[in-house]
Amino acid sequence: MTQALSIQNITAHYGTTKVLENLSLEVGEGELVSLLGASGCGKTTTLRLVAGFLEPTSGKIELGGKDLTRLPAHQRNIGLVFQNYALFPHLSVTDNVGFGLKQRGVTGPAKTKRVNAMLERVGLAPFGDRLPGALSGGQKQRVALARALVIEPPLLMFDEPLSNLDAKLRVDMRVEIRQLQRANGTTSVYVTHDQEEAFSISDRVAIMHAGRIMQLDMPETLYQRPANAFVARFVGFENLIPMMVVARDGDGVTAEAAGGVRLTLSQDQFGAIPDAFTLACRADGLAVTTGADGIPATLGLRTYLGRAYQYQCDTPAGHLTANGPLTRPLEIGAAARLVPVPEQCTILAPEAVA
Amino acid sequence: MKRFAGWTLSTPATLLVLVFLILPVLATIVTTFATTAGPFAPYLSFFGSGFRRTVLWRTIQISLATTAISVVIGFLTAYVVSRSPGWLKSILIIAAVFPLLTGVVVRSFAWLIILGKNGILNSALLSTGLINEPLSMLYTQGAVITAMVYLFVPLMVLTLVGVLEAIPDDLLQASASLGAKPTATFMQVILPLAVPGLIVGAVLVFTGSFTAYATPQLLGGEAQMVMGTLMYQQAMVTFDWVSASTIAAIMVVITIAIVLLMTRVARRLNPMAV
Amino acid sequence: MTRNIHPVLIALTVLVFIFLVGPLIIVLGAALSDTSYLTFPPQGLSLRWFGNIFEIEAFRRTIVTSLEIAFLSTGIALLVGVPAAYALNRYRIQLPGWLSTLFILPVLVPELVLGFSLLKNVATQFHAPIFISLVLGHSLLVLPYVVRVISASLAAFDFSIEEAAISLGSPRLKTFFTILLPNVRSGVIAAFILAFITSINDVSISIFLTGPGISTLPIQILAHMEQFFDPTVASVSVLLMGLTVAVMAAVERTLGLTFFAK
Repeated sequence: MTQALSIQNITAHYGTTKVLENLSLEVGEGELVSLLGASGCGKTTTLRLVAGFLEPTSGKIELGGKDLTRLPAHQRNIGLVFQNYALFPHLSVTDNVGFGLKQRGVTGPAKTKRVNAMLERVGLAPFGDRLPGALSGGQKQRVALARALVIEPPLLMFDEPLSNLDAKLRVDMRVEIRQLQRANGTTSVYVTHDQEEAFSISDRVAIMHAGRIMQLDMPETLYQRPANAFVARFVGFENLIPMMVVARDGDGVTAEAAGGVRLTLSQDQFGAIPDAFTLACRADGLAVTTGADGIPATLGLRTYLGRAYQYQCDTPAGHLTANGPLTRPLEIGAAARLVPVPEQCTILAPEAVA
Repeated sequence: MKRFAGWTLSTPATLLVLVFLILPVLATIVTTFATTAGPFAPYLSFFGSGFRRTVLWRTIQISLATTAISVVIGFLTAYVVSRSPGWLKSILIIAAVFPLLTGVVVRSFAWLIILGKNGILNSALLSTGLINEPLSMLYTQGAVITAMVYLFVPLMVLTLVGVLEAIPDDLLQASASLGAKPTATFMQVILPLAVPGLIVGAVLVFTGSFTAYATPQLLGGEAQMVMGTLMYQQAMVTFDWVSASTIAAIMVVITIAIVLLMTRVARRLNPMAV
Repeated sequence: MTRNIHPVLIALTVLVFIFLVGPLIIVLGAALSDTSYLTFPPQGLSLRWFGNIFEIEAFRRTIVTSLEIAFLSTGIALLVGVPAAYALNRYRIQLPGWLSTLFILPVLVPELVLGFSLLKNVATQFHAPIFISLVLGHSLLVLPYVVRVISASLAAFDFSIEEAAISLGSPRLKTFFTILLPNVRSGVIAAFILAFITSINDVSISIFLTGPGISTLPIQILAHMEQFFDPTVASVSVLLMGLTVAVMAAVERTLGLTFFAK
C-alpha cells in the first residue's frame, strides 16, 4: 500500500551550518518526484532526513499521515537504493534481497518465494547464489533495487543510483526503474544531478539550490517556463537580458535594455510582459541575422555545434550567445543583428531574478 | 640500470635480513638436527621431559587466555571508540596508543606495584575488610595473564578500530533502512565483516604471548615458567644451547604455522578483500 | 542519533580505559614517593628518586648505550629500508611478491629466537663485538616498521611528479632527494620515531646480547629490580614514559595522532 509523503517546513543543520531552509514538499501517492541539483544543494540531505539518518532542527515529516520525524531509521519502513549499492559483501544475492524480509520475521518458504519472484522481475533469477563481488555494476544495482522493492514499502527513495554506471547503462537502467516504479505504483523520491535523467522519468521535478527548492513542476513546465533566473539558467537559457518597457501599442511592447538597445515584442507570441522584466533566451532563441531589426552585435568566437554555428557576441546590452544557420557562416568581427525567437525565449518577472 | 633498479635498491635490506636474520635462525634450527645424539634427539628429550611439557602447555594456556580476553575486551572497546564523536575518538585513541609506546618493562613493572603483597590491590582489599591478610597474587598464572592482557589490549583496540572503520557507512544505513535494529545490524552485518580482522588481531596476540619474555619473567618468575623464560634460562644460566635452540625452533614453527594458517583463513573469509 | 550505544558498553569502555591508563599513573605516583620502598599512593612527594637515577653509574651508562643503539639502528633501518620501500612501490612489477614478506620477517620470527641466534651464530662464532651485534639486532627489529610506514607513505605518492621533474632536466639522484624525500617527509619522521622507540624499549633481543660492560636501559632496569626494589625503578620508568610523551608530541605536531589507528 503506497502512501503520500509530506515534508513540512524542514530546517536542518550539519553542526552549525544550515543546510536546509524551511523546505516543504508534497509527494502524492504513486508519484515519482526527483530532487535535482548540483552537489551541495541539499538534495541528499533531504533524502537522509526522510530516511532517518539525520534529525531536522525543526519541521515535520509525514508518511501516509503518520509522523515520522522522531522515529528511528529502522522503524520507518522505507525502501532505499544507494549510490554505491550498499550490498552486503558477505551475503549472497538471495540473502541480500531477503535481508529486509528476515528483519520482519518472514522466513522459510514464504521468504524464498518472494525473493525468487523479485529476482525474476529484475532479471537476476540465475544469480541467487552469487556474492556481490562477482556482479557487474548494473547487476549490483538491480540487486539493490530488488532488495528495496521486496519489502513492499510505502515509499521508495533513490540516492543517485545510476551515477556509477556508464552512460549507455544509465539510460537503460533509468527506463527499467521507471517501469518498475510505474508497475508497482510506489511513491518515489529520486535524487540526481543529471537533468536529462530527472526530466525523462519524473512526474515532477524539484530543482534545488542552497538548501531550497527553486521550482517544483512538471518537467515540461520547468523546461519551457522557468519561474526564476536560477532555474532558467539551469535548464539552458543562457542569455538573461533585463529590460524596461518604454511604450505599449496594443499587443506590441517596446522595451529597452542596457546600452540603449530596443526591441519590440508581441505579447501574443511571448506572453504577458510586465513593465520591468528579464528576457531569457536560449542560444537557439537568438537568431543571428543580417537584417535591420534586433540587437546589434559584433561576432566573436564561432563554434561548430553540428546542427548550427554558435557565436559569442558582443552587444551594447552585454555578452550574448546566439546560434546561426549552417548555410551562412559568419566571420569574427562581422556585424549582425540578434532577433529573439519566441519559442526559445521566456519572460521572467523582476522579483524572480536571483 | 633501470631494469634492475628495483633490485639494486632493495639489495642492502635483503642482504641485512638474509645474513643477520635468516641465516642465523636457520643455523640455530639446523643445529638441533645435527647433534651427536641423533637428528631428533633434542625434540624427543624435550617432549619426554614432564617439566618441559608442562612449560609448553602452560605457555599455550596463558596465550589462549590472553588472546580470548584481549579479543573480547578489544572488540567491545573498539566498537565504542569507532562510534564516538570526533573529538572523543582522538582522545581515546591517544589513550590507547600511549601504553603501546611505553616499553614492556614499564607496563609489566606497573603490575608488580599493583599486585604485590604491599601493593595497591592488597591495600584496598585489606582496608575494606574483604580480606584479613594480604593475598599472594604475584607469581601466579593469573598475574601473568593480567599483565599480558594489559600488554595486548591496546594493540587489539587499535587494530579493530581500523577494521570497524573499514566497514562502509552506507552498509549500516542500508541495514537500518531494511528494518534491522542496532543489535541486529551488529550481529548480522558488523560482526561478520569484522571477523577476518579479528582473526588477524588474535593471531598477533597469540604469537606475541607465546614468545613473550619480560612479562612472564617479572610476574611469573620461576614458579610460572613459560617457553620464553625457559629458553633464556637454558641459554644464559644453564648454557645448554642445544636445549635453547630446540625451544627456539619450536617457537618458530608454531608461530609461522599459525600465522600462515590464519592468514589463509582470514583471506578466504574476507568478502571485502581489504 | 546514529551513534546510539548501549550504556553498558559505554561503562565497560570507561573501565577499559581506566585499566589502560591507571597502571601508568600508579607508576608515576610511586616514582614521586618520599619512601625508600615502592608504594602507592605516594607518601610524601619527592623528586629524589629521579636524581638517584643519574647517581647510579649503571643507569647513566645504559641510558647512553640505549640512545646510541637506537640512533644507529634506526639510521641503518632507514638507510636500507627507504630504498627498499621505494623499490617495492615504484618497481613493483620487477620484483617478486615474496620480497615484501622478507622485510617484515623480523615481525614474524620471535624476537627471542632472533636475539639468541645472533648471539650464537654471529657474536660467538665470529667474535663480533657485542655492541655491533646489538645494533644489528635492533636494526632488524625496526626494519619492518620503517618499510611498512614508508610504503604506506609512498602508496599515496604520485610518481608522475618524479617523471615531470626528470623530463624538465633534473637528474635521477637529485630528483630523489629534492622531489621524493620532502614529499614523504612525514612518513620518514613517523618511521624514525616508531623505530627509535621500539629500539629503546626492546628487551627480548637485547636480553641475549648484553653482558658485563654493555647493557641497555630496559635490561638494566630488570637487573636493578632484582637487587633493589626501590622507587628508582619507578622513576626510570617515568623517564621512559616522558620520552614517549615527548615523541607523541612530536608526532602530533607533524602528523596528527590518528595516524596510529592504521
